[in-house]
Amino acid sequence: MSAAHGIGAGAGPAATPLLELQGLVVRYGAVTAVRGLDLQVRPGELVTLLGANGAGKTTTLRAISSLVPVAAGRVLWQGVERTGCRTETTVRLGIGHCPEGRRVLSRQSVAANLELGAWLRRDRDGIAADRERCYTLFPRLAERRHQLAGTLSGGEQQMLAIARALMGRPTLLLLDEPSLGLAPKLVAEVMATLAELHRGGLTMLLVEQNAAAALEIADRGVVLESGAVQLEGPAATLRADAALRDSYLGAG
Amino acid sequence: MIDAVLQTLLNGAASGGVYALVALGYTLVFSVLGVINFALGALFSLGGYVTYLLMGGRISANGALPGWGLPLGLPFTPALLLAALLTGLASLLVERLAFAPLRRRGAEPLLYLITSLGAGLVLVNLLQMLMGAEGYAFPATALAGLPDALQVAGARIRSVQVLLLAVCTAAVIALTLWLERSRSGRALKAVAEDATTARLLGIDSEAMLRLAFLLSGALAGLGGGLIGVSISLPGPYMGIGYGLKGLAVLVLGGLGSVPGAIAGGLLMGLAEALVPADASGWRDALAFAILFLVLLLRPRGLLGRRQVEKV
Repeated sequence: MSAAHGIGAGAGPAATPLLELQGLVVRYGAVTAVRGLDLQVRPGELVTLLGANGAGKTTTLRAISSLVPVAAGRVLWQGVERTGCRTETTVRLGIGHCPEGRRVLSRQSVAANLELGAWLRRDRDGIAADRERCYTLFPRLAERRHQLAGTLSGGEQQMLAIARALMGRPTLLLLDEPSLGLAPKLVAEVMATLAELHRGGLTMLLVEQNAAAALEIADRGVVLESGAVQLEGPAATLRADAALRDSYLGAG
Repeated sequence: MIDAVLQTLLNGAASGGVYALVALGYTLVFSVLGVINFALGALFSLGGYVTYLLMGGRISANGALPGWGLPLGLPFTPALLLAALLTGLASLLVERLAFAPLRRRGAEPLLYLITSLGAGLVLVNLLQMLMGAEGYAFPATALAGLPDALQVAGARIRSVQVLLLAVCTAAVIALTLWLERSRSGRALKAVAEDATTARLLGIDSEAMLRLAFLLSGALAGLGGGLIGVSISLPGPYMGIGYGLKGLAVLVLGGLGSVPGAIAGGLLMGLAEALVPADASGWRDALAFAILFLVLLLRPRGLLGRRQVEKV
């Protein structure tokens, strides 16, 4: 499981985790969605968070981005506790979040969506360079740059959502079910793009229902059940795990 | 004849422009917060009175400080702009006192209507305490540089109406360009469309909300100053009528739609202008009859979107 590839964080497995969750608990009223979750994401890793609907995957990502309050436990970023900081602060720290259901700004153009992805940045040249990089990564976005995002197809909207998150130049990218609702061919395309970003050194925490596709590109997998870790290990091991295959991969 | 027609159209467009300003004021806050700020009419009054004071106007015998005035007499344009800014700041204060405490508690949207209405009443009564209940006319020299009438296509028209229309048009164009072209305008639109996603991009939605209140108050203040100089300040309640008319325009154009607020304002202003002077008592009735008819035919308003949407 591995360390950083290529550029970016050149640290080995022994280094401080980029992100660490210690005993994370999140409640929605009387319902406990995440109960005592421990999780580490090391620099350069692609970790996938698997589990059935309602296992607490999305809630975990929302807690990392401070979109929901943490009831107990700690969120550490590069070894420093950041539990309960503002969402804007998490973005500033380098946590990009590509939310569930794409959530593109449908009444603004593709270009404007990308520009807003770089909201906290002030380096014009860097932003322009990253925009071109996004257009190279997703040529269809380049063709549609002046179109309203709401007029894009589901697959294109997903690409825009990923590109928009990349425009913030995140150190860690949280991805919430990027394959949701996409045709198999597009799922493969999105996964290939994520693998390419991973090879470029980007650290990612990928929430997926499509466990087979996610384990294909991940270094490590963590399986949640009822808000706690049920199983975790190297992606290759999980791919070979018969029990896991029966419970999750069968459907994927 | 042509004089009368042209003057009527211009009058309609000019008051329509003011209605549009008020409706846009509602739209800005509505698009971000999803509620109507009922204090906007009071801010309209405030804008009128502040413009008056900045131009060197004095407080009447029934005011708190009879005969007192600011030791300055700004020309109309800087006074109007400064009054718009100050009204915008007052609008921020309304947000802080009437909206922020409820928002922190996650209160029902209905409660904002009550607190903003309360804030508006407090503001109007403060104005009455300070300035007295009677009307004020701007000094005849208020628009000293401006000729009384202009010759357009062989017709004579009142130039103050041209000024009104020009300022409203400029404000509307500036606001639209800002929303569509600038970084911060797009960020405001992003918050209006999806506040959670905007936060995930690092946009401070609280700051954007305050910006919406600031601009909304400034638009109302601009309207108050313009009506003050073109007609007069009939009393501290002047803004309440314009606030209600702006609300009608907002619904007429389609709740939350910027082009709808502009089109609705013009339609309302022109329709009112067509009411003959000797039947002017029917003006408001006509305005609301139009609103009623439009809503019967198009429940979403003229340019409203399928569901209730924003900016």
